[in-house]
Amino acid sequence: MSGDCRFVLRLGEDGYPAQLAMTPRPPRTLYGIGDASTLCPGLAIIGSRKATPYGLDCAAWFARRAAREGVVVISGAAMGCDQAAQRAALEAGGRSVAVLGCGADIDYPARARDLLDTLRSGAGVVVSEFPWGMPPARGHFPARNRIIAGLSSAVLVVEAALPSGTFSTADHALEAGRDVLAVPGSVFFSGSAGCNRLIRQGAAPVCCDEDLLDSLWAAGLLGEDTPRCIGADDERLATESTDPVLRAILAEPVALDRLVTSLGLDAAEALRAVALLESAGAVARYPDGRYGPCMRR
Amino acid sequence: MTQSVVASSTIVGVEAIPVEVQVDVSPGLPAFLIVGLGDTAVLEARDRVRAAIRACGFDFPTARVTVNLAPSPVRKHGAGFDLPIALGVLAATRQVPQSTAEAVAVGELALDGSVREVPGLLAHAIAARSRALPLLVSLSALPVVSAVPGVSVRPLTSIAELRRGLPEERSAPPVIAPRFDDVPDLAEVHGQPAAKRALEIAAAGGLGLLLIGPPGAGKTMLARRLSGILPALTEHEALESAVVHSVAGLDAAPVLGGVRPFRAPHHTASTAGLVGGGSPPRPGEVSLAHNGVLFLDEIPEFSPSALQALRQPLEDGYLTLVRAEGRVRYPARFALVAAMNPCPCGYLGDLARQCTCQPALVDRYRARIGGPLMDRIDMTLRVDRIDPACMLRGSSDEPSAAVRLRVSEARAWSQARGRPRLPPTGAALLRACALDGASRKAVEAAARVHRLSGRGVTRLLRVARTIADLDGDPSVEEKHVLEASCYRALQ
Repeated sequence: MSGDCRFVLRLGEDGYPAQLAMTPRPPRTLYGIGDASTLCPGLAIIGSRKATPYGLDCAAWFARRAAREGVVVISGAAMGCDQAAQRAALEAGGRSVAVLGCGADIDYPARARDLLDTLRSGAGVVVSEFPWGMPPARGHFPARNRIIAGLSSAVLVVEAALPSGTFSTADHALEAGRDVLAVPGSVFFSGSAGCNRLIRQGAAPVCCDEDLLDSLWAAGLLGEDTPRCIGADDERLATESTDPVLRAILAEPVALDRLVTSLGLDAAEALRAVALLESAGAVARYPDGRYGPCMRR
Repeated sequence: MTQSVVASSTIVGVEAIPVEVQVDVSPGLPAFLIVGLGDTAVLEARDRVRAAIRACGFDFPTARVTVNLAPSPVRKHGAGFDLPIALGVLAATRQVPQSTAEAVAVGELALDGSVREVPGLLAHAIAARSRALPLLVSLSALPVVSAVPGVSVRPLTSIAELRRGLPEERSAPPVIAPRFDDVPDLAEVHGQPAAKRALEIAAAGGLGLLLIGPPGAGKTMLARRLSGILPALTEHEALESAVVHSVAGLDAAPVLGGVRPFRAPHHTASTAGLVGGGSPPRPGEVSLAHNGVLFLDEIPEFSPSALQALRQPLEDGYLTLVRAEGRVRYPARFALVAAMNPCPCGYLGDLARQCTCQPALVDRYRARIGGPLMDRIDMTLRVDRIDPACMLRGSSDEPSAAVRLRVSEARAWSQARGRPRLPPTGAALLRACALDGASRKAVEAAARVHRLSGRGVTRLLRVARTIADLDGDPSVEEKHVLEASCYRALQ
């Protein structure tokens, strides 16, 4: 294929990403397809494959924000948060790097084919330390995570359980001396335990655009001349409300029955209240049937 | 002339079709022949009839006995021909009065001459009524066959009683009084307010309901209580359902008592078990659930071919089996309730346990139900395990009887609106909903936010119309649409 610009980078040779060469165990060879210049220091955005809409929305939101600042978004093209972040970065006109656990020419996961094709055709780059045509295997992914951490200057974890592959990427990041950022989640939700643990261990919590930009600047991803102050047009993430149903749902994803019993509502009333908030885009029903916060549309 | 003719009938589908039992006793080498396409059970009647006749003090003729079951092309099944054959032999040899042959006789004989019930007696009773003949059956079957209005029942316990002629007409007290005592009550379910509300709506509108939740959430417990909140069967419906039960050889008494049938086939059920089949064809679970509830627990575990076979009954309310020997039609109009885990391991979204399923596996698991069946599921609801504290706090929950009353009122109201039966679609549905500005806007918003397909909007309106019926509202309002949108399918 003519649009298929493959390249191979060897450790110690010209063009090999400098930031990756300085990690404890850099890959000897890096196979890639796409625009090799994308392999500059960037922000890794990673998270659970079984993400909640909250995790997906956070991934997309912060990826978009980073892309707008011209920061490359690095991730693993996995289902869930990874794909959400990379797609959002591309949509916002940014560039992205996908690091795979198989040959860089393999479409894995299959549902990421369109994303990978876009990256390979120049909107970014797809890289791997595994040779062309190598199928994915279980043991490849921790190694892949090491490269994601190595290519980035800071790693943002949007949603992670404990233990999880995402958490292992954060470990690699710390080993490589990268900044680790985490989006806090509910203390009652096991899927957020990884992020909350990272914050407890010293990761910088990212709760709004300002937090993110601060951290990007600290990691050296924003140029010296980039104004650090946040303009008035900055969109607010947190919703303010006095509606008890909305407050309950924003605090933590909640099942309908819990909502009915804890707020003392009639089942029909609660359903109507939730449906109204849903159609206004203030809350969303998660795939598991609970209602929780989502990004305002 | 030593011949006689006795009326009887045989079951085809859920109907009994007339069969004439002709007996000829003529001189010759002693033999006992049965012709006319009988199955093994029919042919074995020879030994039972001979023994029964002798045991009751009659003589079995030492001659050539030929029995013909007419019409000959129809296959005859079962032991129900024992009684008419014995009666025919006795009448042909003048051992009983000729008047005894003027009845539809159906029954199996024991070797001592006592008469036993056979499956399908209700169908036989209906056939006897339409032929304006009395029905000669076992005394034990009297309470059940008395449920058929206008049939003259002549019960007997043994063929010895035939010596005095046809037994007297008798009837049993009708069992038509709703007996909901044996049906589990909704008050036993603690908490789960949203699920109870959904059950009430499903009952009022005859809508298909899918319950999704982790193991132990109470999905089965809730579904089992649906038949208790449905209004009692009308006399006509009760008889329709009871005939199917009778043909299948099941106890028809609860159905005759007005309680809607609740059938919960296991997910290993074969296609024939689910929709009917076999030789001779027998009604399946969908027909046994006629006028009641069909509950499919763990619906993704059912074989895809069995689920596909549900399409015809779901669309038409009956089922046609086509076999080499002909086609039979079974009634099958039921409310579908299905339950499933959110994912193969069952714990997706559970707060206490981590789900161990790959995301792709969850999608595949959910896709197993298949489009056509999902189209008939109007409402989907997530059910979660309840807090044990709520269970121990004791019950102040509403009993089924109170919910049943509201459901009956809603059904009466929807009928008063001039809507005979769900599910309406298209223009009729829109007319029935009589949307105003606000409710129209709510439907549009729901369709946009939740990306509903055309079918999704139809389902939304159908559910909203039912909720409005529960409120006794002539038109569908915004609040009804809002609530209905919560019951849309999980993505």
